[in-house]
Amino acid sequence: MAGPLNGIRVADFTWVWAGPMNTMQLAHMGAEVIRMETSNRICAIRMLPPWPKGEPHPNRSGYFNQYNQGKRAILLDLSKAEGAAIAKRIVEMSDVAVENFAAGVIDKLGLGYDELRKVNDDIIMMSMSGYGATGPEKDYVSYGPAQVPMSGLSSLTGYKGWGPMHVGMSYGDPTAGLHAAFALIAALFYRDRTGKGQHIDMSQWESSMVVLGEAFMHPVMNGASPERDGGHDPHMAPHNVYRCAGEDRWLAIGCGSDEEFGALCGVIGKAALATDARFATIADRKANEEALDAEVEAWTSAQDPFEATEKLQAAGVAAYPPLVNQEVMESPQLAGRDFWVEHEHLEVGVRRHAGIPWHFSETPLSVKRAAPVMGQDNEYVFGELLGMSSDEIAGLTEREVIK
Amino acid sequence: MPDRALEGLTIIEVGTRGAASYGAKMLADLGADVIKVEPPAGDPDRALGPFPGGEAHPDKSGTYLYLNTNKLGVTLDIATEKGREVLGKLAAKADALIHDYPPAEAEALGLTYDVIRAANPDIVMTSVTPFGQTGPHKDFKANDLTMQGAGGWLWINGWPGNPDMPPLKAYGRQPSYQGGVNAALATMGALFGRSRGGPGQHIDISIQECIAAILEFVLPIWSYMDTRVVRYGQRPLQPIDTFQCKDGAWIFVLCIEEHQWERLVDLMETPEWTTWGVSENRFVRASNWDALRPFMEEWVSQWNADDLYRAAQARRIPFAPVSTLGELLESDHLKARGFFVEVTHPEAGTLKHVGAPYKLSETPWEIRLPAPTLGQHNAEIFGGRLGLSAAEIESLATEGVV
Repeated sequence: MAGPLNGIRVADFTWVWAGPMNTMQLAHMGAEVIRMETSNRICAIRMLPPWPKGEPHPNRSGYFNQYNQGKRAILLDLSKAEGAAIAKRIVEMSDVAVENFAAGVIDKLGLGYDELRKVNDDIIMMSMSGYGATGPEKDYVSYGPAQVPMSGLSSLTGYKGWGPMHVGMSYGDPTAGLHAAFALIAALFYRDRTGKGQHIDMSQWESSMVVLGEAFMHPVMNGASPERDGGHDPHMAPHNVYRCAGEDRWLAIGCGSDEEFGALCGVIGKAALATDARFATIADRKANEEALDAEVEAWTSAQDPFEATEKLQAAGVAAYPPLVNQEVMESPQLAGRDFWVEHEHLEVGVRRHAGIPWHFSETPLSVKRAAPVMGQDNEYVFGELLGMSSDEIAGLTEREVIK
Repeated sequence: MPDRALEGLTIIEVGTRGAASYGAKMLADLGADVIKVEPPAGDPDRALGPFPGGEAHPDKSGTYLYLNTNKLGVTLDIATEKGREVLGKLAAKADALIHDYPPAEAEALGLTYDVIRAANPDIVMTSVTPFGQTGPHKDFKANDLTMQGAGGWLWINGWPGNPDMPPLKAYGRQPSYQGGVNAALATMGALFGRSRGGPGQHIDISIQECIAAILEFVLPIWSYMDTRVVRYGQRPLQPIDTFQCKDGAWIFVLCIEEHQWERLVDLMETPEWTTWGVSENRFVRASNWDALRPFMEEWVSQWNADDLYRAAQARRIPFAPVSTLGELLESDHLKARGFFVEVTHPEAGTLKHVGAPYKLSETPWEIRLPAPTLGQHNAEIFGGRLGLSAAEIESLATEGVV
């Protein structure tokens, strides 16, 4: 049985990560997503590593190929009037259009919401931008990595007594992309019932703050923000990342109750700690956290992190090693869950990619195809969908509209 | 004609771990009718705080207030047979049910697809759990720290070049939020499919997979280059870094594209180090960043953070402030967009909440109701919707079921 968005078509003007993350979710659910790209200005993540053998090539980036799975791609120079006109024909036969150019660019191309409505009056159009479509800083430039500091997440993340830290990835991009895809399906649901399309203004900055809603309650209620405190948690102790045996090996452990702490003490062979007055309650353990961490680490530092995980989990204690990328991709937990995708790609062959984290029981979803190389679907879109003759396509190519 | 995007949808949320709460909030904030089912003692988030003045109160927890806007709240002990019967009646009238009990606990509570489907064959049931419904670790205990580890996120964050510092957790409950947004997205997709003739179904969401699916280029570094990543995200290009300014505030220095770097060099008045071979392009700068970083640090330290941010943005260089929450609450830009919204709650008073992640022109995101007080809507839901008599509700209350 087909995915829930089977029959929905998406005119995809997006690039970098947030936009492609959004439209990939729609592709995962069965939508036909048509990326419009140009070799005059190649999508930024096609030009980012990893590439096989480290050799840069726009069709071979593992980064691009991860977030553009299941889509189609054509070459189209939107800065030419003929190119923009063809884009409108694609929009005309689409349900959704998404763009994440810098503010104002889509309007200059003549492809703003008001223009697209003229060719498709119930189109759902989303503009994703760093700062949103309104407000005094709407013209500022922004990328996903910047959303982490801008949202307040950096100011909250870090080792105790050290400066603010990043979180190791451009977290604002996927968070925006996932929220965006949700909003688009909600708008499709509304359109089916009312016949009305709409415009959606999506700010990456704002969508990076919605995952910090409870943190903002601290200054709102009491004036002060939470202080950076490494791996600690205000409601759990022990709760940290502990050194293990081996080079740069670690184990994350968190005890959420006195019972779990008692179980931990048993596993680490220090049953007396459970009745030690310094560690009797969560408040006591928080007050003596440094001594507590030292007790736990004295045990973990002689343990293999995976074996220690098994021992602690058998006793009902939450523990898991911080997995390295290789370990995620070879995880026994993930192996049997139909999560990994291994399609043949035109230029990089079969490479393992992360797939769909939702498993539908009645209409199982699957990634239909590997990410496209540039212009891979020119024939399908210009010929089959738009009905152009091979002469027309040749003419467009010659005039560098298809480029 | 409905005014709200999701008006008319009824969602049952049985959540105790943040993920289901956030997913259901997303649906509620676009207009779905969400009934939150809590155990008689309340969602554990009612104890998490923060609390006004630091005084704990189950109806004033900031975590709970934020995650449960626009919901109707009932208490129901689904560990009892009678409680399950009532849950079945709620499910029978719902379009979707979202929960976040791990498999063994869910099984013990009768919160399985077989049971729920028996009450309503067309329902979309979404289970969002740490490791999903299958696999050798499905019953592992977990929390937001260990899930960052299991997904591969924890490893990539921390201080480079200092092996004594452990992998660093991103603040807060990010895995739970990721589980929540994925739950909302997948549930919405299934409901859309159902509205076009598709079936009801069960959706199994693994938070570990939700994290593994957003690791930027971290996983392909293994499958394309057989390279194990190091902490701090193995930044392939520079500058992407955080520095302290003259006034003590911090700034995020970022150039993604080479033309941005060229404008930055111009702003710096072309210091000699930017002309060296080791500064030649973004990849080469990344390889030599340990050597180049002190020069950048020195230059940044001569500026006040806000002045540098504005000067960079005036040249279309994507620098960003390292904002504190207090600064964000006062941001002119966010004020102009109406991002923070005031919500008045009968117990907690009027508080600013983080607002909408999107602005829909026809069907705005809006707060219609504050988070429910404990059991606030018991009479309305059990009596009004399910048609239980006052005596029946009274009897359930006496037995501790509601």
